[in-house]
Amino acid sequence: MSSPVLTIEDLRVSVEDKEIVKGLSLQIKGGEIHAVMGPNGTGKSTLASALMGHPAYSVTSGRVTLDGEDVLTMSVDERARAGLFLAMQYPAEVSGVSNANFLRTALNARRGEGNELPVIKFHRLLQQKMKDLNIDPSFAERYLNEGFSGGEKKRNEILQMSLLEPKIAILDEIDSGLDIDALKLVADAVNQLRSPQTGFLIITHYQRLLQYIVPDYVHVMMQGRIVKSGDKTLAEYLEANGYDTLKRELGIVDETVGAEA
Amino acid sequence: MSIETSAHSPLVADLARRFQEPPWLVQRRERAFVLYASMPSPKLEETDLRNRPWVVESIPSATTGGAGAAAQALLEGAKAAGGAYVYVRDGVTIETSLPRTLAEQGVVLLDLHTAIDQHPERVRRYLYSVVPAEESKWAALNAALWHGGIFVHVPSGVRVNSPIHFIYEETMAGKGGLPRSLVVVEDRASLSFAEAYLCHGERQEGVVHSAVTELVVGADANVTAACLSRYGKGPTNFFTRRAKLADNASVDWVIGDVSDGFTVGLVESRLEGPGSKSTTRGFGLGYGRQRLDFTASMDHFGHHSASDITLLGVLRGRANSTYRSSTHIERGADEASSEQHDRMLMLGSRARADAIPMLLIDENDVQRCGHAASVGRIDENQVYYLMARGIPRAEAERMIIWGYLQPLVDVLPVEPWRNEVASWIDGELN
Ligand SMILES: Nc1ncnc2c1ncn2[C@@H]1O[C@H](COP(=O)(O)OP(=O)(O)O)[C@@H](O)[C@H]1O
Ligand SMILES: [Mg+2]
Repeated sequence: MSSPVLTIEDLRVSVEDKEIVKGLSLQIKGGEIHAVMGPNGTGKSTLASALMGHPAYSVTSGRVTLDGEDVLTMSVDERARAGLFLAMQYPAEVSGVSNANFLRTALNARRGEGNELPVIKFHRLLQQKMKDLNIDPSFAERYLNEGFSGGEKKRNEILQMSLLEPKIAILDEIDSGLDIDALKLVADAVNQLRSPQTGFLIITHYQRLLQYIVPDYVHVMMQGRIVKSGDKTLAEYLEANGYDTLKRELGIVDETVGAEA
Repeated sequence: MSIETSAHSPLVADLARRFQEPPWLVQRRERAFVLYASMPSPKLEETDLRNRPWVVESIPSATTGGAGAAAQALLEGAKAAGGAYVYVRDGVTIETSLPRTLAEQGVVLLDLHTAIDQHPERVRRYLYSVVPAEESKWAALNAALWHGGIFVHVPSGVRVNSPIHFIYEETMAGKGGLPRSLVVVEDRASLSFAEAYLCHGERQEGVVHSAVTELVVGADANVTAACLSRYGKGPTNFFTRRAKLADNASVDWVIGDVSDGFTVGLVESRLEGPGSKSTTRGFGLGYGRQRLDFTASMDHFGHHSASDITLLGVLRGRANSTYRSSTHIERGADEASSEQHDRMLMLGSRARADAIPMLLIDENDVQRCGHAASVGRIDENQVYYLMARGIPRAEAERMIIWGYLQPLVDVLPVEPWRNEVASWIDGELN
């Protein structure tokens, strides 16, 4: 299996006719971890949602390819089956659908027809993954995200990621609402999947998570663009000096999208 | 007796002759027929029946062919679940089966015609006592001309462990099904009763189906009554199902309808005894140009009586359903409590659904009366979430719909029947 490449070229995204992401380019290869940092309201989740194909986010120009295939013409489920994964900031709750049933359907969809995992094997795999993430076994039979705490939802996203073994995993604020133990488990799961077969885009606004998942590249997003890129020392710099120093350096008064207009 | 009968209705006379019916019954039928003939086809609150034709002609005395696929599946389910059942096709009793263990406990299970022969006093005492002919044109029609039915009697203190089934099938040979179920459960007894009304083929307008179920439930007795229906295009379908509950009795209704017909239905519990309790779990899947006007009703008379109604309607195509949950707390039903939950899910832009909660309270001292209703479409955020994990849209939607339906289908007391209903639903969702 060759190493995947996700290429984003000059991407522009609008929500309700308002441009939020304003020309963003980024290339993520298998084995690489890219962190996208930035204060709230700078367009990070919009980037993630547009990559996954959420219907509320319309791409007005630019290109996105995964291993040379045009991602933007694919439906949401096609993107997922092609190997794109988004751990969502706000995962939906679905009553009446058990977590296990959902996970099995998702895994089999990813594996493709004729290649489904037998039920017994699936349950063994699920139990192992749940154990790794310190998830209670009762989790499997609970309804999908219904009544889950913030931390449980995040762990469920990571559980899905480790089951589906995507080519490119985008984690949107996976660290919010997690205590330090849960954060370490999440980091372990990411590090376990870290291989030339998977590339990561990790969205966060704190440096905390990046102590456990050491990124190869750090990008800072403001006003819907990447305003600065560097290696992991950029994250450390931001931790020490805050976003304000960087803003002064770049001459940005208000970093949120729309403020510049 | 044949003197006046033929004057009013040759159909009543025909049934009286065919089943050698006693005069009391013929008179009841006659009176009901007069009522039926004199009552107008009404305009209901949400459904106009004034232009619906009523073609009630001959009553077939024979049927041909074997059980259809659905009837076959339910029959096998009934056999697997203890083997107590009555199977009627086109009004003609095909098979009655009562396991010996039940007979030894004194349980009576017969087709209603035979029951009138063998237990005339018992049937006479209860027949028409819960659903009288007077209440509607269609109740009158059934009271006058019912044929093909079931009688169940569970003596005091007897707990029937496996369900009793009634399967009614209406084929293209039928002229309109008028089945009647009479179920009497004495004090401290318990019973799980499951009935299905299957109607296949597309028929001309004018044919009328009217099913009636009467449930008499004694003190401290418990009944689960599951009623399934599949109605087709063409006829006007009616069902009227009512239970009468004595002190501390409980009745749990499970109502499931998967149809594209024109149907007006009522399910009601009369909570007469103090401490009596009833729940109704109703689900429906309407498709095609289905029209359903469904009422789940709880009528509280007893002190400290309690009820709970949960209705779920899923509509696709050009289906148009009205689900009414109606609770009436009569004066004297102090400390009564009731809950209503209605949810309507419309698939596609041409389906229509209404949820109408109704609450009438004539008593000052009521414990709690809650209701929640929602009418809407599938949540696109949920669809997006499932699709983002690689699940195609159609399957994602099906999972979400099943998420709503499953808990209701799961309360059906017979597992093979659950599977059969699931296959009906899947068949219509695809
Ligand atoms: N679904 C949406 N509907 C309306 N506005 C949105 C939506 N998603 C994002 N936005 C707007 O886009 C801007 C950036 O939001 P977001 O991408 O969530 O930022 P971040 O993830 O960096 O906090 C905000 O002004 C927000 O109001
Ligand atoms: Mg965000």
